[in-house]
Amino acid sequence: MLSFVARRTAAALGTLLLSSLLVFLAVQALPGDVATQVLGKDATPQAVAQLRGSLGLDRPAWERYADWMRGALHGDFGTSLVSGKAVGGDVAQYLGNSALVAVITILFAVTGSLLLGIVAGLYRDRWPDHLISTVSLVGMSVPEFVVATVLVLCFSVALPWFPAVVLYGPDATVGQLLPAVWLPALALAVVMAAYIVRMARTSVIDVMASEYVTTARLKGLSTWRVVTRHALPSALLPVLHVIALNVAWLLGGVAVVENVFNYPGVGKLMLSSVQNRDLPVIQAIALISAVVYVACNLAADLGAMALNPRLRTRGRT
Amino acid sequence: MTPLVSVNSLSVAYRSGGRDVPVVREVSLEAAAGRTLALVGESGSGKSTLAAALLGHLRHGSRVTGGSVEVDGRDVFALPAPELRRLRGRTVAMVAQNAGQALTPSMRVGRQIAEAGGDIPVIDLLDQVRLPRPAELARRYPHELSGGQQQRVALAMAIAARPKVLVLDEPTTGLDVVTQRGVLDLIAALRDELGLAAVLVSHDLGVVAHLADEVCVLKSGRVVESAPTRQLFARPAEPYTKRLLASVPRLDDAGLALVRESGERDIRPRAVVPGDAPVAVSARDVTVDYGRSRVVHGVSFEVRRGEVLALVGESGSGKSTLAWALAGLRTPSGGTMTHESGDLARPAQRRPMSLRRRVQLVFQNADTSLNPRRSVGDAVRRPLRFFRTAGGRAESAERARRLIADVRLDPALADRLPAQLSGGQRQRIGIARALAGEPDVLVADEITTALDVSVQAEVLRLVDDLRRERDLACLFISHDLAVVRGIADRVVVLRGGVVVEEGPTEAVFAAPRHPYTRRLMAAALEPDPDARPPVEVTPDWADAAQEGDVWTDHGDGHRARRWRPADTSATPDAPDTPPTSIAEGVS
Amino acid sequence: MTTVDTAPAVAPAARTARAWRTLCSSRTAVIGLAIVAVHVVIALLAPLLASYDPIAGDASQALLGPGGAHWAGTDQYGRDVLARVLYGGRYALGVSVAATVVSVALGTVAGCAAALRGGWFDDLLGRVLDAVLAVPAVLALLVVVTALGTGPAVIVLAVAVVFVPQVVRVVRGAALAVVPADYVTAARARGEGTWSILRREVLPNIVDVVCVEFAMRASWVVLLISSLSFLGFGADPPTPDWGLMVAENRTAITVVPMASVAPIIALATLVIGLNLAADGLSKAWGVDRIREGS
Repeated sequence: MLSFVARRTAAALGTLLLSSLLVFLAVQALPGDVATQVLGKDATPQAVAQLRGSLGLDRPAWERYADWMRGALHGDFGTSLVSGKAVGGDVAQYLGNSALVAVITILFAVTGSLLLGIVAGLYRDRWPDHLISTVSLVGMSVPEFVVATVLVLCFSVALPWFPAVVLYGPDATVGQLLPAVWLPALALAVVMAAYIVRMARTSVIDVMASEYVTTARLKGLSTWRVVTRHALPSALLPVLHVIALNVAWLLGGVAVVENVFNYPGVGKLMLSSVQNRDLPVIQAIALISAVVYVACNLAADLGAMALNPRLRTRGRT
Repeated sequence: MTPLVSVNSLSVAYRSGGRDVPVVREVSLEAAAGRTLALVGESGSGKSTLAAALLGHLRHGSRVTGGSVEVDGRDVFALPAPELRRLRGRTVAMVAQNAGQALTPSMRVGRQIAEAGGDIPVIDLLDQVRLPRPAELARRYPHELSGGQQQRVALAMAIAARPKVLVLDEPTTGLDVVTQRGVLDLIAALRDELGLAAVLVSHDLGVVAHLADEVCVLKSGRVVESAPTRQLFARPAEPYTKRLLASVPRLDDAGLALVRESGERDIRPRAVVPGDAPVAVSARDVTVDYGRSRVVHGVSFEVRRGEVLALVGESGSGKSTLAWALAGLRTPSGGTMTHESGDLARPAQRRPMSLRRRVQLVFQNADTSLNPRRSVGDAVRRPLRFFRTAGGRAESAERARRLIADVRLDPALADRLPAQLSGGQRQRIGIARALAGEPDVLVADEITTALDVSVQAEVLRLVDDLRRERDLACLFISHDLAVVRGIADRVVVLRGGVVVEEGPTEAVFAAPRHPYTRRLMAAALEPDPDARPPVEVTPDWADAAQEGDVWTDHGDGHRARRWRPADTSATPDAPDTPPTSIAEGVS
Repeated sequence: MTTVDTAPAVAPAARTARAWRTLCSSRTAVIGLAIVAVHVVIALLAPLLASYDPIAGDASQALLGPGGAHWAGTDQYGRDVLARVLYGGRYALGVSVAATVVSVALGTVAGCAAALRGGWFDDLLGRVLDAVLAVPAVLALLVVVTALGTGPAVIVLAVAVVFVPQVVRVVRGAALAVVPADYVTAARARGEGTWSILRREVLPNIVDVVCVEFAMRASWVVLLISSLSFLGFGADPPTPDWGLMVAENRTAITVVPMASVAPIIALATLVIGLNLAADGLSKAWGVDRIREGS
């Protein structure tokens, strides 16, 4: 069991390291000179040379990578080329705001979609299943910006319950942001839930058709007991990883939705820093996203271990 | 005495493509307390559907189209859901076919037994199914138990609430013979202790003869014949029953049994292998490793042209590993394997083409041995083209049709896909594909295990014909001594990757010398309720082979590995050892 | 049982015919494919169907509601919404199809090779792909697009980078289920080469998975590309593109709702069509959706 945890953690760290290298290389490999790109074509050669010096571009790439990683481990991601402030603090502020949306989204999306998916799976080919499957199909067929736009139309314009856009900057307090959180969270939850619902449905159907569930039924157990004790632990196994992937997806998904609502989160920061070519910020966000992705997957692995005694006792997959 | 179970002209059908397809047609039967009723039939006979119907359970999409099932005086399909639930487990309980899949993987077995109801402590139940250290066992998960232990747990679960009727769906299929014997004896004992009415579903006539009081033979959902066991086995009335019985290979057949349409058996004398027949394959001290564990420990044998050598053993004995090594799919870690035209100790890809085609493998499972997306003609043509044993496209198509005819199939089948063929037909195509390389060595890896008994008889006959016609050296791998009896010229018995006994078939079956061989023979079930174990079993023994003094010779090439009666402290093989080696996957 | 009852069919033709029959038996798949087909036809025939130039605006006709001359109204620059929607599919479909073909083709080859070769190759590939997956798709796309510009070729490349790892995962899973089958073992025992085994034994058995993967991946790609356009990193104005149209007309949604709603409907029907096709095909061919992860 310990060896399983250790192996998975080691693999996660390996992926993270590889990811950071990829991010670094991708950003470094951008065509053209970074300094020229930042300053624009009309910049004086002195200004370019000065920026190159301050960015350390005259040193070899591996040295810069090592420096960057060393800094990142201590929370130091360099300084923003645009604001001139430390990237770490900036990103943390935006990230905190996004986390507020993310937590609400995850709470709603995961509980709601699991319930719906399980119901659809249990009522296979009957009306609850048809209804849920159709709604989830529409949910996954409509892009986030459309859901967001429709929500604004309904709940800000037609029924003025929530603000359509956020008027505060990144340093807004939770109290200031709270009224504006719900619509973005709902938009994200709709899209995210659609996938989890479908996955949970398929998985429940598979497990309900298994021999051990039939045996449990033939033991004379109640349907509730059969579902909760015998079916669900195995049915949730494949869903776990889908949830993990979707939670990781949120970090990209927020980019669009935050843009629609002008919400001061990490997605908005991502967009503006791409527009401004603020490379240290882009690198930092990419690395943090990778950490979130790896952490979600690791959590799913450990969750799978809790549900599957095979992994616990033998330590092999 | 009123019957506990009575099925009255029951019909069950499932819907497919808008039509009702009947699975069970107007079946009537009865089972009484303390008696065992066996439902016997080949695949597609509807026996499992019938068994589940006794608990009021039908598969998704199936429904009752007529008749009724009464258990303990209640019509199970008319019961409201809560009462049906009470009936299940407390009045009628089921032991499913494959305990490995019938136990919930995420629950400890103790809890699974406990929730089946009843007032008997789990420990006592586990004790009742003769499981050692029940307290510790109850805390395990299903995957931590061996196949035999899982089946015993399933039995404990079924008898937990002290039902009156026990339905057993192929309770021992997939278990090794010795384990099977143990589970069957346990079932008989429990039935007598608890006064149960047992309904046993099986395809295995040996199991039925051993356990049942009455037998009901099913074919395509209909009852063909129904009679007390002794009467049915001694004087079967229907030709179908006769044929079925005659197809079962027996331990005392002196040659291959050929079954006539009327159900009579003719024993074909064994083909005589000339004394000067050349050796086609010879293995010397072969060892094979999977990672760090060794699954074959220094095995030696020779097969001559025109000879059938049987490798017999239980799962984990290394017999299939040896087959794969010969076919070039596993590289031996030691010893030599040679063919008259080259070295076989190399993987297939590095053998010269001329050698590669001369050793061909036929697989156990005909369902997966043919590519489902390619016509069976394609499957036979490919090796013809690949080994360049046929010239052009037209010639290879013609040769493929002839090969298909050679395995006694209609050449018109060449255009079919494997899914459109029956299991026996697919296995014949597998043999035709192996013959396409014009081999002189055929390695047959459990080729009849997955087949119905009547189809098995046909395939055995085909293999026997082919070795006569083509002078093939055949390595026939099986777990079933009775199957081997009719076809093999010589037998090698393997246990844990070691040869324990070898010799001419007649000699080994007449006087098995090694206790393991004797145990295998004693555990084999004959289709005869009055069959006595053919040999005495030595319960405790220990290996006594030493470097340079391994064999006890019994003359005429018959020899057994040295052994001695054991002091009681060392039991060499507990009946239910948990699965350990990866080798089981291929064995 | 050596008798042949029904007329034997010739294998390759029969295979296609059977695939087609099972496909037709699934109403979901037929509806989905029909919707997609309608979109393709409209995109191809857009110049014939539209009565206005999708790019040229007429300031005097700006922000009109649906009416006689402009069935779906006009946008803030006075461009005909219907014409822009009809033309909008060209960009979305063209880029999406190209991007999907590239990702699925690359992913299939890599996935099969990983399943068949196993060992270090499989491990290494898995690690690298996982590392790529760890960076959010939108961010990766944005970075590539800002660096290389927003040309269609760049977007195809960027989408391939993002989606190949996911295709590899699915195809590898499907191929892993085929590789231990005895017919693959038989080919190995014959000593056939890796590519021969891949082409003759493995690919024919996962072609259904690849088809479903294609339909599903296409729906994702359409969504992603439209999101990119919406954010201003995809199609350049004034190109008619659905995502771009929503972005342009969102602020005027209360004045001319059709200008936003029409492209939304077009986009949603295309994706629903692709999803229905993927769903129907996977059910008709018995492809296990569970393998496909998210």
